[in-house]
Amino acid sequence: MKKNAFFLIGGCIALALLAIFWYSVEVHVRFLAEISFIIAIGIIYLLRKKVTDFTEDERIAKISEQAALRTFQVSWVVFCALSIGAVMQILYVPTFTKADFEEFHPREILGPRMMGYFQLGLLCLMIFLYVGFRIYYARKYGDWETDEE
Amino acid sequence: MKNKIKVFRAMNDLTQEDLAQAIGVTRQTILAIEKGKYVPSLDLAFRISRRFRVNIEEVFQYDEAAPTIDID
Repeated sequence: MKKNAFFLIGGCIALALLAIFWYSVEVHVRFLAEISFIIAIGIIYLLRKKVTDFTEDERIAKISEQAALRTFQVSWVVFCALSIGAVMQILYVPTFTKADFEEFHPREILGPRMMGYFQLGLLCLMIFLYVGFRIYYARKYGDWETDEE
Repeated sequence: MKNKIKVFRAMNDLTQEDLAQAIGVTRQTILAIEKGKYVPSLDLAFRISRRFRVNIEEVFQYDEAAPTIDID
């Protein structure tokens, strides 16, 4: 399979995913979106292996590897910091705190909606970090170098 | 790590694209190696020197003043 055909099929899969996501929101069936996402990633992975004119050498692999590693390193620190904060709210002990905390309802703060926003925030952070690190390492390892040829 | 890829390319009348295709990497990788932005693995260094039919030491020279181990 040629590279252009792969990108074309990838675009079609992305559009189909968008439609499925829309439908799953309409009918409020989250498993539909989750399963379709996993299947789409699986299909893209299998198609990617069939592309013949993709040249991925060790420099490109190193850029991806370094970007992924740095993203992981930052993400786990942020995730742990936020999780510690969330656990502190769950493990609320009134004797450690002031009396006005009787009005405090930790379960309301950590409801499914907030957890959804929390996960969405982390996902966006990971994507931005990965893209940022990828640009940084691509530049470092000469991706935008020009020559006299 | 210093290298003389550009010199050997000129001697063998090869473009970056030709060399890249011959050893199975992208042209950008050859350019990055030539400019010292990327230090190739031993495997790739051997493939480059084999393509020029010379020993690896003739193409690549270790630069004592600039260590290449980089943890960033």
